[in-house]
Amino acid sequence: MVSYWHVFKLSFQRQLTYRTANIAGLLTNLFFGLLRASVLIALYGSRLEVNGITLQGAVTYTGVTQALIAYLSLFGWWDLMNSVYKGSVAVDLLKPMNYFSFWLAQDLGRSLACFFLRGVPLLIGYAIFYPIYVPNKPDQLAVLGLALILSMLTSFAWRFLVNLAAFWTPNAQGIGRFAFGLSWFLSGFIMPLRFFPDWFVRIANFTPFPSMINTIIEIYLGVIRGPDSLQALLIQAVWFMGLVLVCQLVLKAGLHTLVIQGG
Amino acid sequence: MILPSILNSIQIYLKLISIQIRAQLQYPVSFVFDVLTQGINAILFFVATVMIFQRFQSIGGWTLGEIAFLWGLIEMSFGTMDMIFSGFDPDSFSTHIQVGSFDQLLLRPINITLQVLGSKFVIRRLGRFIQGVIIFIIGVSLSQVNWTVGKIVYLPVVFISQILFFGGLFILGSTITFWTVQSVETVNILTYGGSEMTAYPMSIYPPWLRNFFTYIVPALFLNYAPALYFLNKPDPLHLPSFAPFLTPFTSIALLMAALLFWRIGIQHYQGTGS
Repeated sequence: MVSYWHVFKLSFQRQLTYRTANIAGLLTNLFFGLLRASVLIALYGSRLEVNGITLQGAVTYTGVTQALIAYLSLFGWWDLMNSVYKGSVAVDLLKPMNYFSFWLAQDLGRSLACFFLRGVPLLIGYAIFYPIYVPNKPDQLAVLGLALILSMLTSFAWRFLVNLAAFWTPNAQGIGRFAFGLSWFLSGFIMPLRFFPDWFVRIANFTPFPSMINTIIEIYLGVIRGPDSLQALLIQAVWFMGLVLVCQLVLKAGLHTLVIQGG
Repeated sequence: MILPSILNSIQIYLKLISIQIRAQLQYPVSFVFDVLTQGINAILFFVATVMIFQRFQSIGGWTLGEIAFLWGLIEMSFGTMDMIFSGFDPDSFSTHIQVGSFDQLLLRPINITLQVLGSKFVIRRLGRFIQGVIIFIIGVSLSQVNWTVGKIVYLPVVFISQILFFGGLFILGSTITFWTVQSVETVNILTYGGSEMTAYPMSIYPPWLRNFFTYIVPALFLNYAPALYFLNKPDPLHLPSFAPFLTPFTSIALLMAALLFWRIGIQHYQGTGS
């Protein structure tokens, strides 16, 4: 356990040291968020509420999703893939650690740093431009906290799985880009899932992607609360465990075919 | 003596590009997949918008077809630009600065701008162009554009102007790395932000944002203003009637300014010493 803690801590500290990159990333996320907010405001026009989401909720939605970009590495995560192509995967596999947990510890460190450096400041910046909604009920906050952790875990397991493609092909970037694009589409990152036709939402709910973003959004905005939100947490947990299982199986198969490049 | 040297430059450029293209076609399956995924991601965004429109019908007085017109046009030109100006993509150009390979380019007796332009040519960006074409065709057929000779002549002018405009922004972004060494992510606000922003009518943005993209970066004239002319749309911003035809002038001005800045940057370039 101690070694995982060290991996986590080092990764957290490393993310903290990228000061200019963090600030630049924050500004970029903020700018795109304001663009997306303008689009939603124009879409609402004179409407006050659309399928349970108020105009203020919709603007808040753009802020929260932008705040999640760095936390969940939404635009792609290629660390494991790169380690395969550079050959350092050999060293990682030799470590007396579980390969999945090693990467999880590393990614948790990065993501926690991003939560405080990119997520929270982004919402504060947002609040300067728009009166965004901030949850304040203790039980809602507790559920939100759990949802954030579970979405991180689910998202990590998905990214880990996508990166494992590198064990089979020398150029898995295309697969990765497609996989990450698919997750934007089905997770509610592009638009809240509630805005989509019902048949589409039903399809999306058969995938792990809503558990990565949409659950956080709906709990944050208070669109689902009480027993419904607990059920959403349960769904997140089930998807996480399911994905972990798939990851282990695929990893096992991948280790047989892996050819270490470079050296 | 000028003509042969231009022809020579073109020949060298084509040679550089053909090397790039042949290299990228070495793994055909992987290449096809790359092209498809480039396109599919952007198509997914558009499909999401189409589904959202079932609930909202219009955005700031623009129908789905009219939005598709704006969106498709800017995607086509941005995709093409991203392919031609790959060498000036700040992210890849900054690597030249970081590892010192820019010094190598400077030593060669060939125009430096030409070399950077020829140093990278990412053909998988065709995917973005192709999906732009699809969205544009949907836009044209849904919004029933009333084509006139003037519009047919002006459309390619706008397309090329948009390519030059974003190319100019890429050159600006790359020039900044002479000083910063690392590429500056905030430049993405102008390039990728500019393309995303101009995919929607400019009238929906708050005034401070619109003013920035009118007076500092003249993106207002890039897509929104000409689209008013193509689609015969009334303009809530009350731009002058010649505004739709400013597109080539603002683009060329921006490109010229970028090239001037680029020249100044090269003169100040000192190398990273590695």
